[in-house]
Amino acid sequence: MGFEQIIFYLFATALIMSAVSVVTVRNPVLAALFLIAAFFSSSAIWIMLEAEFLGVVLVLVYVGAVMVLFLFVIMMLDINTDLLREGFMRYLPIGLLIAVVIAAEMILVMMSKVFDKPIPAPLPANHSNTEALGEVLYTQYVYPFEIAAVILLVAIVAAIVLAHRKRPINTKSQKPGEQVRVKSSDRLRIIKMDAEKRAGS
Amino acid sequence: MSFSLATPEIFLLSATCFILLLDVFLKDKFRSIGYWASLLALGVTLVLTYQSWTEAKALAFNGMFVHDTLSVVLKMAVLSIVTAIFVYSKPYLIDRKIFKGEFYSISLFATLGMMVMISANTLLMLYMGLELLSLSMYALVAFNRDNGRCTEAAMKYFVLGAIASGMLLYGMSLLYGLSGSIELSSIAEYVANQKIMSSVALLFALTFIIVGLGFKFGVAPFHMWVPDVYQGAPTPVTMMLASAPKIAVFAMTMRLLVGGMEFGSEGWQQMLIPLIVMSMVIGNIAAIAQTNLKRMLAYSTISHMGFVLLGFVSASEGGYSAAMYYAITYAITALGGFAILIALSHEDGDAEELDDLRGLSRRHPWYAFMMMLFLFSMAGVPPLVGFFAKLYILQAVVSAGFVWLAVIAVLMSVVGAFYYLRAIKLMYFDKPIDERSISMSISFNALLSVNGLLVVALGLTPSLMALCLIAIKQSI
Amino acid sequence: MESIYLAIPLAPLLGAIIAGLFGSKIGRKGAHIVTILGVGIACLLSFYVLKHIAFDGNAFNGNVYTWAAIDGLAFNVGFLIDNLTAMMMVVVTFVSLMVHIYTIGYMEHDEDNWPKGSLVGRHSYQRFFSYISLFTFSMLILVMSNNFMQLFFGWEAVGLVSYLLIGFWSTRETAIFANMKAFLVNRVGDFGFLLGIATVLMYFGSMDYAEVFAKAPEVEGVTMSIFGAEEWSVITVACLLLFVGAMGKSAQVPLHVWLPDSMEGPTPISALIHAATMVTAGIFMVARMSPLFELSTTALSVVLLVGAVTALFMGFIGIIQHDIKRVVAYSTLSQLGYMTVALGASAYGAAVFHLMTHAFFKALLFLAAGSVIIAMHHEQDMRKMGGLKKYMPITYWTSLVGSLALIGFPGFSGFFSKDLIIEAVHASSTPHAQIAYWMVLIGVFVTAFYSFRMFFLVFHGKERMDDHTREHLHESPWVVTVPLIALAIPAVISGYLLYPMVVGDFFKNVIAGVGTEGSLATEMKDHYHGIFAFIAHGLMSLPFWLAISGVGSAWFIYMRKPEIASWFYKHFRWLHTLLDNKYYLDAFNQRVFAGGAIALGKGLWAAGDRCLIDGCMVNGSAWIVKKFSAWSRYLQTGFMYHYAFSMIIGLLGLISWVIYKTNVLGISG
Repeated sequence: MGFEQIIFYLFATALIMSAVSVVTVRNPVLAALFLIAAFFSSSAIWIMLEAEFLGVVLVLVYVGAVMVLFLFVIMMLDINTDLLREGFMRYLPIGLLIAVVIAAEMILVMMSKVFDKPIPAPLPANHSNTEALGEVLYTQYVYPFEIAAVILLVAIVAAIVLAHRKRPINTKSQKPGEQVRVKSSDRLRIIKMDAEKRAGS
Repeated sequence: MSFSLATPEIFLLSATCFILLLDVFLKDKFRSIGYWASLLALGVTLVLTYQSWTEAKALAFNGMFVHDTLSVVLKMAVLSIVTAIFVYSKPYLIDRKIFKGEFYSISLFATLGMMVMISANTLLMLYMGLELLSLSMYALVAFNRDNGRCTEAAMKYFVLGAIASGMLLYGMSLLYGLSGSIELSSIAEYVANQKIMSSVALLFALTFIIVGLGFKFGVAPFHMWVPDVYQGAPTPVTMMLASAPKIAVFAMTMRLLVGGMEFGSEGWQQMLIPLIVMSMVIGNIAAIAQTNLKRMLAYSTISHMGFVLLGFVSASEGGYSAAMYYAITYAITALGGFAILIALSHEDGDAEELDDLRGLSRRHPWYAFMMMLFLFSMAGVPPLVGFFAKLYILQAVVSAGFVWLAVIAVLMSVVGAFYYLRAIKLMYFDKPIDERSISMSISFNALLSVNGLLVVALGLTPSLMALCLIAIKQSI
Repeated sequence: MESIYLAIPLAPLLGAIIAGLFGSKIGRKGAHIVTILGVGIACLLSFYVLKHIAFDGNAFNGNVYTWAAIDGLAFNVGFLIDNLTAMMMVVVTFVSLMVHIYTIGYMEHDEDNWPKGSLVGRHSYQRFFSYISLFTFSMLILVMSNNFMQLFFGWEAVGLVSYLLIGFWSTRETAIFANMKAFLVNRVGDFGFLLGIATVLMYFGSMDYAEVFAKAPEVEGVTMSIFGAEEWSVITVACLLLFVGAMGKSAQVPLHVWLPDSMEGPTPISALIHAATMVTAGIFMVARMSPLFELSTTALSVVLLVGAVTALFMGFIGIIQHDIKRVVAYSTLSQLGYMTVALGASAYGAAVFHLMTHAFFKALLFLAAGSVIIAMHHEQDMRKMGGLKKYMPITYWTSLVGSLALIGFPGFSGFFSKDLIIEAVHASSTPHAQIAYWMVLIGVFVTAFYSFRMFFLVFHGKERMDDHTREHLHESPWVVTVPLIALAIPAVISGYLLYPMVVGDFFKNVIAGVGTEGSLATEMKDHYHGIFAFIAHGLMSLPFWLAISGVGSAWFIYMRKPEIASWFYKHFRWLHTLLDNKYYLDAFNQRVFAGGAIALGKGLWAAGDRCLIDGCMVNGSAWIVKKFSAWSRYLQTGFMYHYAFSMIIGLLGLISWVIYKTNVLGISG
């Protein structure tokens, strides 16, 4: 077993274990952290497959952005973990059984000879994954790229439509722009008055 | 690069973005400008699509985009149906105070997604189109966000849809891994050189693809979301779910199973059969137990989608074109049925119980008559279009040698006739519970009448079926 | 030209749609204007087509639309426009136009025929116009068809309209009974017709007239076995089955029972549908199919006998009727019998010629009867009429023309056609033609007798109506009298078309036998020496003297010595009872067929339905369905993870199937 294989199995084991833990641990924060671990492991596997760019992006986007946001949300919501786990034990046996059967079947299929393809030769050291991607993304794949952009646009619009609400009218808030623009005349008003004689004098 | 082939899509995208921006600057008083702009956008897209009619197949965007008769016909069907949905849904949206520009822009994005699916020539584009459609639909289901049932339905739809997408993607990635290409024609070449029934990996990939397609069609056992989502979503969105996307999913199945894996038909034929039988049995029988009209129609959709898949089982040009005919005509019929539900709704709540139909013939004879047409068509009563759709499908299935399947289909249609007839009985022979009069705008009534006319005329004249046959022949 | 052919049936259809669907919007006036306009256009165009086809010789046969194609068998909508069709089109549209105009007067006070405030009676006027226009459309489709499929469509469509119109006054028990009866009896005929079409389709492999006729000589020798081993000639079977259809529609014994009862409908449709056009559809159809019928002597013989029996025995019943419309109805039956006899004698031209003349004079007689009925405030019993001559001169004179035409008085149209039929039967070589000859000959006397019995009872003699009616007697309005006069003209002169139509080559290439050596038609041509020679010969022949004696005895018995009638009544009571009960055919049908069907139904209901189907299948399966649907409802828990789980199970099932099929495990199976 070569060094590469040892590394692969290391990360693969880590990936599977953390993925299982995401489902089984009680604490949601912990689950999110395990998910981050799973992302790290799969990113490592991708890098081993010479897809450095994707590996890096996975870490940057999912770990750096998505999961952090996720953690914020989990911490802000006070989730009753007991309620979530209700019935877990009741469904565990049947769920486990089905999971094992499916896993076994998938292993059976994956072991079949069709996937025994020759390992492609390693790319030259100066090959840039990022460059290769950059070359086709805006040319050959411009159509899916644009559609992906539209999907993101829809996601943004949908999120705003579903979550955005008009603020109630009487909330108090500071408006820095107006604070800066204020003039003395807005604060102090000088009123000219005629002198009045004291009554009765 | 021949961008010009995609002119309708490009126009629709630009117009949608324009409408999205326009709406931001509109005061509530002028909200209907967005509505008219959307109708205009759809109309122009329809014209552009019609003008791009072609006899020859052409590719664009490096083989990502295919332009053929099939795509033109299906796109025109989708565009017309979405236009009708907009007209039908206006009074409902105004009543519920959700008459917002976003409804239209998101629906237009969904339409774009359908068009992308219809014209997809690679696995990637199929998936992108599907996601664009699904994401828009999730948002639309939850559109009435202050309604608990809406959000619940959207949640279910979203999560289950994500699982199904995942499976579909898994199947596609396996297919890519095996064939080394995302282009459907290359995949077809690969499949042609394999013996499908002994290639376990190919069948395995196919399994996941079928699961994904099954979910999108809403056939058993991947149908569980359908009744809940139909019931929970606002009626116009249910109308949308039940009509146009079915045509898009038909296109996807056509491209993927027939375009990509025609030589594997022996495999997917046998996988589809249990799904079809289950859908017909569950769809028709469970519908009987429903008291909620939208749920009943949801189960009826499940059984109808079984019929569409039945057309694929015959694995022949006749079968595919029958399935296409079925998908289009069913969409038109469902459109009318849900339009009646919109007409019956009022500000205090949706009309969705069967009881709301009681005595409709006395409240509004014309609507009752139209509803009767739609229900009879769904039940497959001649000479309405539903009968001919079933006939063509059964004809294809029988000539492919699956007589027993045809027998089951007919038996289950008989069971199905029960609940359609029950609804008709309620309309015509029972006393109304709600005596309020119903009145709708002229455009609504005119469209409904046209819709009813189509349900009669499309069956009596064979032109649509002939068109379907031409489109299928040309695309294969 | 094709667009003209299309416009002819579509113009009345459009009128029917407008008057039917938007009747409440356009009002009574709008309804009759739009329908009359539609039929008027059709009528004008039909005359143009007649000129185009008959004089310029441009027959047309082509499809305009393919409705569906199954396994190479095309269902087309097409037109076959030749001399026969063009003639029928003119007759149909002309009579229909007259009836449309006449209806304005007849239905003017239709609201009185409905119970006060009844919902079904609303807009009945517009509905009526919509129906008769729809009928015109259907009839045109029927005659213009170039294939069996469209023929059957028209056949059923005219049947439907007839059904709707017989029961037009749907609040009357008798009307409902009559239209039910018409419907059921026609069902029997239509069933035979459908089987006939199926036989043709099976052995000829086509529905197109031209193709079928071209293939007829090939099929001539083919036989089929229906029951047991006995072999039947296919052509005979097909023709007999088709003729069953004709018997239903053209009211031949024993399927004639619906026609007298159909007089429950308003008089205009009795004239249009149940005298002039629809009932002649059977005659038209057999004439159209003449290339087939010519090949089967057996079928012709059956046709001949059925026609002869109808012609004579239905005439007898006419003698004892008191209802003015029923007398005309029985005379229609008898005249249809004459046409059928002519068909059986292979004198198709004569049959169609009589069809045309009959359409004019019978429509005239019916409309005149209707005019009398209007004047009598919807009283139809002749015993309460009499002496109407001085009150209604136009109706009187037109009736006289119609009656003279009917009895075949020389110079009037009926004379030419009927004389021709009798001569043709006499000369025919069809088996049993001589029996038929004597029957139709006696029929002439009977016809003259009942026609003039009616004529004298209504227009001459004592005024037997009550005083109130007498005070209000007056001639009908112009919308009624104009059609009467307009129909009286062809009732006289259409007979003079004898030479061009029958003796000449008008029907050459259309009807079998015309123009070929040694056929009946050619033989007639040889014996024809001009129209006046024909009349002169008629004056000396037996039928003329029979007719004259019929008129004379009617005058003598009913005007001079009414005692004779009562003497007959007393001494031949059994005969009267027999005729009064219409040979007990109605009672027989009621007992045996209706009663039998009810008994059979009840038996099957008790044994099969209640026990087997209700008990086991319906309730049993309903129980299963109920359980199953309850169970499926139970599965639909609403929990998302249950839904996801069901998807996983589905996936599991599919993967397991893959593993089993591809035998990955290596278990040999």
